[in-house]
Amino acid sequence: MSTLGQELITAAVIGVLQGSIYAMVALGIVLVYRATGVFNFAQAEFGTTALFGAYTAHVVWGWGYAVSFGFGLVVGVVMGLLTEALVIHPLRKASRVTLLVGTAGVALTAIGLQFWKYNETLIMVMPRISDGFHQTKYGSPTDQQLITVAVLVAVTIALALFFRSPWGLAIQAAQQEPVAAELVGINVRSVSLLIWGIAALLGGLAGILAGPNTTFSAAFLSFGAGGALLPGFMAAVLAGMRSMSGAVAGGLVVGFVEQLGNLTLLVDVNGARAMMLFVFLLLVLLFKPSGLFVPRAVTA
Amino acid sequence: MTSADDDTLVLPVVPPAALEEAPAEPEWRPAAHDEDDFHPGPVGRVARRVCWVLLAWSVVLVPANLLSPLSLDQTTVTHLTEAVIFAIIGLSLNVLIGYAGQISLGHQAFVGIGAFTTAYLVTEQQLDFFFALLVAAVFGGLQAAILGAVSLRVTGLYFALVTLAYGAFAEQTVFGIESLTRGEAGMTLTRPSFFASEERYYLLCLGFLVLVVWLDWRLTRSTAGRALAALRENPRVASSYGINVKAYMMVAFVVAGVFAGLGGGLFAARQSVIVPTSFGFTLGLTFVLMTVVGGLRNRTGVIIGAAFFALLGSGELVHWLHLDGFFAETIGLPVQFVPLVVGPILLLLTITLHPGGIGQQVAPIQGWLAGRRLDRHAGKVREVEVSDVRA
Amino acid sequence: MSVLEVDDVSIHFGGIKALQNISLRAGEWEIVGIIGPNGAGKTTLFNCITGFYTPSAGRVRYRGKDITRLPVHRRTALGLGRTFQNVGLVKNATVLDNLLTAQHLQVGYEPVTGILGSPATFAEEKRLRDRAHQILELLQLEYVARERVTDLPYGVLKRVELAAVLATDPDLLLLDEPGSGLGPEEAEGLGDTLLTLRKEFGLTIVMIDHHVPLVTRVSDYVYCLNFGEVLAEGRPDAVRSHPEVVLAYLGDDTESEVPV
Repeated sequence: MSTLGQELITAAVIGVLQGSIYAMVALGIVLVYRATGVFNFAQAEFGTTALFGAYTAHVVWGWGYAVSFGFGLVVGVVMGLLTEALVIHPLRKASRVTLLVGTAGVALTAIGLQFWKYNETLIMVMPRISDGFHQTKYGSPTDQQLITVAVLVAVTIALALFFRSPWGLAIQAAQQEPVAAELVGINVRSVSLLIWGIAALLGGLAGILAGPNTTFSAAFLSFGAGGALLPGFMAAVLAGMRSMSGAVAGGLVVGFVEQLGNLTLLVDVNGARAMMLFVFLLLVLLFKPSGLFVPRAVTA
Repeated sequence: MTSADDDTLVLPVVPPAALEEAPAEPEWRPAAHDEDDFHPGPVGRVARRVCWVLLAWSVVLVPANLLSPLSLDQTTVTHLTEAVIFAIIGLSLNVLIGYAGQISLGHQAFVGIGAFTTAYLVTEQQLDFFFALLVAAVFGGLQAAILGAVSLRVTGLYFALVTLAYGAFAEQTVFGIESLTRGEAGMTLTRPSFFASEERYYLLCLGFLVLVVWLDWRLTRSTAGRALAALRENPRVASSYGINVKAYMMVAFVVAGVFAGLGGGLFAARQSVIVPTSFGFTLGLTFVLMTVVGGLRNRTGVIIGAAFFALLGSGELVHWLHLDGFFAETIGLPVQFVPLVVGPILLLLTITLHPGGIGQQVAPIQGWLAGRRLDRHAGKVREVEVSDVRA
Repeated sequence: MSVLEVDDVSIHFGGIKALQNISLRAGEWEIVGIIGPNGAGKTTLFNCITGFYTPSAGRVRYRGKDITRLPVHRRTALGLGRTFQNVGLVKNATVLDNLLTAQHLQVGYEPVTGILGSPATFAEEKRLRDRAHQILELLQLEYVARERVTDLPYGVLKRVELAAVLATDPDLLLLDEPGSGLGPEEAEGLGDTLLTLRKEFGLTIVMIDHHVPLVTRVSDYVYCLNFGEVLAEGRPDAVRSHPEVVLAYLGDDTESEVPV
């Protein structure tokens, strides 16, 4: 019993560390959904694209780490802006299902380009920012993971401040009343571009920070499709697709739930983590489809 | 019920006097449907017949190496078989996305369940292949019904998310049960001896495609299809027409599941070996791509789109067009990755510029073959404020 | 027995009371009119009767049967047919297809048999088409049978919608603003149509409309709603000259009758 207890605490620790990646992905999904009503299936692919950018700059071209990191983010943001300009904007009158297929198409395009450039490189490794780790009784967090958590905290605070600033309030106004916003001089189009840019930046941060945790290759979509997209979306669902703080909390919870699949109890079950996530998603959608972490003000 | 409404509604033969004055319709006139009166002349009739014969010949006989000057090698025939199976899967997905308006990103799991069911029953239980196919179709329908029951609670975009999770769950958890699927070692399936040759198996798959096309055609032309069209566009109107929206949503799921299960069974017998990772997320996305690029709600378009992506994926199309060198050397892209690069671009072009997809492009030819005038504007998709899915 | 009985129905959304203790009755072969300013709750009342909303309190009965919690499609099966304020038709389908869809409950084969395509379904489909054409002819809409709904002008659509509802084989017709968008003469024609339909099909009709002259002419009984409550009810002429009704419509009482 005590082993189970210890395993649960370990799952919580690792889950929070891993979940901070999901939280960042979820923040981007929630931002875009609030602004444009789009389920963005390309959100995690902003991350892989940024990661491939950073990898190319650092490992292939031999640039410095910080510069490469920045370059990766720029690549991710450019992809976000292109998505808005080439897909979302032309389809603004289409049904939401069409838009969803459109973002899935963007994700696939990104995967396709990654294949094209790197199908011969079987295994890629993005170095960590710092190689240190901390041996504890409950798992051994790496510096990289701790930095990720710190970045998540910083990003969350920055976003909260931004949306309380006059600019942020104007953006929220533009989302709720586009016509009225146009009348008082807010350019709804640039707001939309800005939102997609921020979302892509969040995705890019998540991708580059998570990249060093595993090896990756163009043929194995460790981050994009299966890895972070689904947990990120689940976190966003927990946030009722609307709440920013809910997205952060949701990411951490999903990280924990996923780690439950690593319990010794489930050692004989293949794909226990996928099962935990699927069952958890069903339970949430069946019993609390409006989300768990939704502040009152948002639900009203 | 009042006296006027018995079984067959008795309507007055002569409209009541009050109705005789048609309300004035000054500006609007119905568009002329002149194709009603159009009959092709003798030359046109012969030309159409020749085209039909050529079409049938090239789809039925050439791939089977019958009465054909080309002698296709076995690999090519296998690839053509795959195109036929993809067409069945495309029609299955079309029922869900096109008719019911529910986007499935986990269709590879629907297909995989059919494939592993067939393989298990034939290889491990030594049951008859056709019986196994039947069971695969039933299982496909059953698992779709269970997933459909969930979708009655969560529709639209959330449902897409459920199917995404379901796909990962099926691939990693269900197909990972080694006692049923032999896990990574994979499963092989021996076809019945009569269909052992690739040519005969092609014809068998084509026969099943014809069956699926028939069922799909009758679905759209009968009450279930009309009910689905109504509830997809406007559930309120549908229910006020007396349609049980939830029940008919389930009908769509079961039909899609049966088609997919059947397609999966045929897929398993075509592959030399199937492993869980045969049914990964990219396959599911390819299914969505080929269906949407083919043209939702357009049977011909979906079949062509599915065949196109299958042949693109197996490298057959690139080979025929003598583009191997171009892709492999000039731009450095191995043939098996071509659909992953070309497909999404086609998809984005389709939904932004050409929402009717391939079906829209071939509609003029289709209309001509059916004995109408060649109309370049036939099949133009005019999407109108389809009431959005709830999310 | 009344065909439709609405007893003390109330409904609120959050804190907003949309309907308060509404009671309404429609007898066999009656035409009942509902008038009232915009936002009075008329369509909300229809949604309670047809099942799109479940009332917070009160009962809805159809021929004595309590249908307060019955789903929409089951009420259609009982014989309730309704039209919508902004035209309830399948817009991407043709007029004929709409009428075929509307006959959903009269289809004489199982959905599965239809998908399998048994010969009997072909014959049944022909019967449904014939009946659709009969109804279209009756409403003089045969000339638009093959048109797509979106391509048709509003005035025609209102009649197509009426044809579609008739195809559901209703007993009680609930019409939400059938006269909207019609000129005075067309409204006159609509009134005649309604009276004829009642006679030919033996219908009970409840209608919402702003065309007060139309409502007054065809209705046997009129309710006037305001702010979710029944302001006045009675014979058409009595309601029309009721001082509170006049006030509700005009905001002040400078005229003695409700304007056209």
